[in-house]
Amino acid sequence: MIKSKFSWANLYLIFIFVLLYVPILYLIFYSFNQAGTMNEFTGFTTEHYEALAGDTRLIRIALDTFRVALVSSLLATVIGTLGAIGIFFVRQRRTQSTILGLNNVLLVSPDVIIGASFLLLFTMAGFRLGFYSVLFSHIAFSIPIVVLMVLPKLQEMNTNMITAAKDLGANNWQVLKSVIIPSIKPGILAGYFMAFTYSIDDFAVTFFVTGNGFATLSVEIYSRARQGISLEINALSTILFIVALGLVSGYYFVQQQQRNRKRKLTDVDPTNHQKAVTP
Amino acid sequence: MKQLIQLAFAVLGISGVLYLGSFFIEHSQGASGTDTLNIFNWGDYIDPELLEQFEEESGYRVVYETFDSNESMYTKVQQGGTAYDLTIPSEYMIERMIEEDLVLPMDHSKITGLDNIDSEFLDQPFDPDNQYSIPYFWGTLGIVYNDQMVNEEDITSWGDLWNPEFKESILFIDGAREVIGIGLQTQGYSLNSKNDEELNEAFELLRGLAPNAKALVADEIKMYMIQEEAPVAVTFSGEAADMMWENESLHYILPEEGSNLWFDNMVIPKTAQNTEAAYAFINFMLQPEVAAQNADYIGYSTPNKAAMDLLPEETTEDEQFYPSAETVGKLEVYEDLGPEYIEKYNDLFLEFKMLR
Repeated sequence: MIKSKFSWANLYLIFIFVLLYVPILYLIFYSFNQAGTMNEFTGFTTEHYEALAGDTRLIRIALDTFRVALVSSLLATVIGTLGAIGIFFVRQRRTQSTILGLNNVLLVSPDVIIGASFLLLFTMAGFRLGFYSVLFSHIAFSIPIVVLMVLPKLQEMNTNMITAAKDLGANNWQVLKSVIIPSIKPGILAGYFMAFTYSIDDFAVTFFVTGNGFATLSVEIYSRARQGISLEINALSTILFIVALGLVSGYYFVQQQQRNRKRKLTDVDPTNHQKAVTP
Repeated sequence: MKQLIQLAFAVLGISGVLYLGSFFIEHSQGASGTDTLNIFNWGDYIDPELLEQFEEESGYRVVYETFDSNESMYTKVQQGGTAYDLTIPSEYMIERMIEEDLVLPMDHSKITGLDNIDSEFLDQPFDPDNQYSIPYFWGTLGIVYNDQMVNEEDITSWGDLWNPEFKESILFIDGAREVIGIGLQTQGYSLNSKNDEELNEAFELLRGLAPNAKALVADEIKMYMIQEEAPVAVTFSGEAADMMWENESLHYILPEEGSNLWFDNMVIPKTAQNTEAAYAFINFMLQPEVAAQNADYIGYSTPNKAAMDLLPEETTEDEQFYPSAETVGKLEVYEDLGPEYIEKYNDLFLEFKMLR
């Protein structure tokens, strides 16, 4: 059968990807613009990158943004995973769906409302706005996301394994450590990365709870936009985009290597598979 | 499990490094003193070099944060939980903050250099005798036109906007008081009119202006005018200065009938923890050299008379940005109208919007 090279499906795919990537490429292109605006390209320069390197305030905010994202998503993953396991093992169906419903309400409710309620809560409790108020609110809005990412993996899990482990004398901690966590690991990692990206690009909630000199990138860029976005922001976005690209390709590379190694093992010893099954 | 725990520690390690990074940046610049000054200012509204200079001279460490609108600044201050020592709201917001007891009265014995400020800009109705605020920048509302598309003589007043030649070509700033104000001032009424008849008259007049409007927009005006999408726009002087910097064909004029005069003043909010540092900063900003450098960087009009001598002549002689005393006399500052009339203005403005 001769495969024709042209297909509508491929064309559609290319069209969608162009649509998604062109704005970013446009932004990157103009970060090298000699003129100070995005109106027309007058010449190549790296002066915006130099200006960025000199803008210690923006660099500090970028570092702080990543710090909040890393720590908040870590804590949210721990809490969210335990929460998902808890929800999974609730006996009564009604209670389970109620808890899950309460979890999902937080996911769909507008960020503005969540942000405003955090502001009220923090000020009522006399809590100083700053790093910790941002951190806590990010943890709070990330937990439902993690729960939602981990729960399907729990449902896929073979529950007979737990019964078997208990049969063999494992206590609850051992069941959690050696059976449940390993089988939901992909979900936990996915939850972590989702929480991380949510935390990085959140504006609405963060906007309400920043203060006392602490800000994140989205809030800072928004305040600066009043004067028209300077190309320094383009330069920063370009760097962030390249970092993200590096992370994704690094992840892909590691995964590919792991897969190759596994394949090699099975190639070298064809009985390997059987050995693993028969004790 | 082991792998997950390793990952968790790796994450904690990285965030520790990030913390050290930001800690290092924060302490390597300027003074390392523990005495801090928290400033809450508009985005991109000060020359960053001046902050460093202030840190060196005074020994205070500046923690600088920005806001994008008077309202968001107000919320942060009013809610508490913050410790801003100094902030720079516009005049109507200052009036509101004074009423709600959100700003501290200034101790004038601690302020030096107030006499550098032009007396035109002191003792304004929103803050009599400057008990609470010190001028930072000021500006006007006016008309920007493109000399490639419009003759200079064709636009000198608000009344010229009604010219049928400008059908569907004027950009207006999206603000109730600004647009209704055009109708009021064209007939010589006050911008703060609380007279229903005058307001209705103004609105009837604006009815005729509606066909000339191309759009009611906010910050986009700057971009549209630079890209020559429209020949005429009604906007604020600071915005106009930015546009003219980018496109040399643009010019700014103050209408003959008069216009709005706005202020951004420094105030010490109730949340202040370090008023001494705030006074030090106010005194620093009042110095002529500092005010001149800041005005040169931002491009807005400085109220500092002594600083004007230090600015390039082509800036200070520009009648449109530093109008003569006679013109300044015709300018009017917005006063707080009270909820009833704010609503009235908004209703009329909404009706104006519906005309298109």
